[in-house]
Amino acid sequence: MARPLVVGYDGTPGAQAAAAEAVALASELGAEVIFAFAYWTNPQGGEVTDMLAALRELGEGHLREAQAAAESAGVTAHGELVHEAPSVGLVDIADRHDARMIVVGSYGEPPLKGALVGSTAHKLVHLSERPVLVVRAR
Amino acid sequence: MDNRRGAVWFGAMGTSARVVESKGLKADALGFVSSVVIGVASTAPGYSLAAVLTLVVAAVGVQAPAVLILAFLPMLFIAASYYYMNRADPDCGTTFSWVTRAMGPWTGWIAGWAIIVADVIVMANLAQIAGLYGFLLVGWQSAADSTLAVTLVGVVWIVVMTAICVYGIELSARTQVGLLGAEVLTLALFAVVALIKVYTGDALAGSIHPDIGWFSPFAIDSLNGLTTGLLVAVFIYWGWDSTVTVNEETKDSGTTPGRAAVVSTFILVGIYVVVAAAAVAFAGAEAIAKDDSGDALGLLGKEVLGTPWDKLVIIAVLTSAAASTQTTILPTARTSLSMARAGAMPASLGHIHPRFLTPHVSTLLMGGFSIVWYVGLTLVSENILFDSIAALGLMIAFYYGLTGFACTWYYRHELVKSVKGFVYVGVAPTLGGLILTYVLVKSCIDLSKPANSESGSSWFGVGPPLIIGVGMMLFGVVLMFIWYSQGHRDFFRRRLEVADPGSLDAPPPMPAPSAGVA
Repeated sequence: MARPLVVGYDGTPGAQAAAAEAVALASELGAEVIFAFAYWTNPQGGEVTDMLAALRELGEGHLREAQAAAESAGVTAHGELVHEAPSVGLVDIADRHDARMIVVGSYGEPPLKGALVGSTAHKLVHLSERPVLVVRAR
Repeated sequence: MDNRRGAVWFGAMGTSARVVESKGLKADALGFVSSVVIGVASTAPGYSLAAVLTLVVAAVGVQAPAVLILAFLPMLFIAASYYYMNRADPDCGTTFSWVTRAMGPWTGWIAGWAIIVADVIVMANLAQIAGLYGFLLVGWQSAADSTLAVTLVGVVWIVVMTAICVYGIELSARTQVGLLGAEVLTLALFAVVALIKVYTGDALAGSIHPDIGWFSPFAIDSLNGLTTGLLVAVFIYWGWDSTVTVNEETKDSGTTPGRAAVVSTFILVGIYVVVAAAAVAFAGAEAIAKDDSGDALGLLGKEVLGTPWDKLVIIAVLTSAAASTQTTILPTARTSLSMARAGAMPASLGHIHPRFLTPHVSTLLMGGFSIVWYVGLTLVSENILFDSIAALGLMIAFYYGLTGFACTWYYRHELVKSVKGFVYVGVAPTLGGLILTYVLVKSCIDLSKPANSESGSSWFGVGPPLIIGVGMMLFGVVLMFIWYSQGHRDFFRRRLEVADPGSLDAPPPMPAPSAGVA
């Protein structure tokens, strides 16, 4: 079986575009899709437990949604939550599953704003040793 | 490729799904240095000193170092309760939920409210310091003297910091270590140069040689001064508890428990005591106590280091204020998020931004409240802004003290089972709670006298800090009853909980997302 595709999925339009592309690709390759939701919160200021629980709930919802959509298109899929900064978390999951590539969305923002609010796609292309496919949101 | 197809699919809700949780490789490997940095940065030594140096020296004179040492004791005791309450249940993370579990929903609600109020008050003070030191950095003295200019920059500061927290922009760990290292080194440099100048006779006219009596709490002759000093000093250790809770995530936390907490403690107490002693020795207690510019540390920096090196002190205060703003907004937003999730506050406060994954509603609301509070207080009187630090101490003493009592009460069946349990969850938290309660009550009595406030003014015959402190708490009680009467009874029906038997001796629980990779 073909190596899986890892998709960064957080339910935003960019992630939806990435997921659609990945599912189409996986269907042609006969590969599994792993939807990944990475979450992280600053430990400064303590009191992170409820915040992390809220993030996990949010992530689980998104992942279930994505998985169901992929399966209805006939593609095997599962979701993974990872407690780490998004770019690092995606690389970790991809490494664990020896993924073929990582697929993420981009927001079509001007570069300065992207740099300011921290573009995961940008960080990822520099961090990942695997190919990264960036799909722009429409 | 037609992306719109995806939007249609992914709009559909899923049925059954397999979601696995994996712990990141780095999440559980928060290093020793990072833990120390988090602890020290969360307390923001530079900013804390800039904010309270004058107040502490005004309260106890040359014994300022002694008060700074003494104030640490209750914090240490309360830290024990943070540590053990954090261990008790990995799913409960805040003072709000701990107090709710141990002492009931009504008390818990008020504890949560106290955290929020304290954070809103400190934001105003932080913005003030940031505005002031910002102008000092560029050497624009006339703007630094203008209330309008400082307030304007202060408001911009709050807006920018709130935006940063909403966007979830984080400095890398390495940058933080660098910034904090520079801050600590600068403060050390300030202290060393000040002391050298004291002994070479190059210090200011009122300069005095340090005396061992400065470090002895028993040398403080005024009990009023002691409690006021303690109340203010409690504020400078505020935030230190995050080292203790974060420490649990640290690698090898089983073999080296609390080492990071201990190290950051020594760094903090060391900085405060040495810098306070150096400042008092350099300028004399009188001169510092009489400073009404609000930037005693900045002015001393100029005298001690000379231009342009004095800018280092200003930069240290500003970086520290930035770190502190973050560690103020983050826990406030998280507390209101916790309360919203527990049904104790409107659910919208628990909303998380879909893209930035931050509690944006809570964060924006807190930023907004801070601006209203800051501008409002400045309009009434700038002195009241300084008075509000004393009010802040009341809030912190209140909810820290409550946390201490909650810990002992929660573990009450475990107390007699082991000596360790008796000391760590019995004696220490209760003692911390008692000290803070004493400081709280004594300060309330002292602060009720208008003469003890910065402004010397009186509201309804009572000192402004007390009105601010008690008024905000009563306002919270009103809000709580409004929330209750609006039909949100579920939260208030929650039962009291007790620690599981043997939970004290059990190994620390892993953080929640510990399931393996599927």
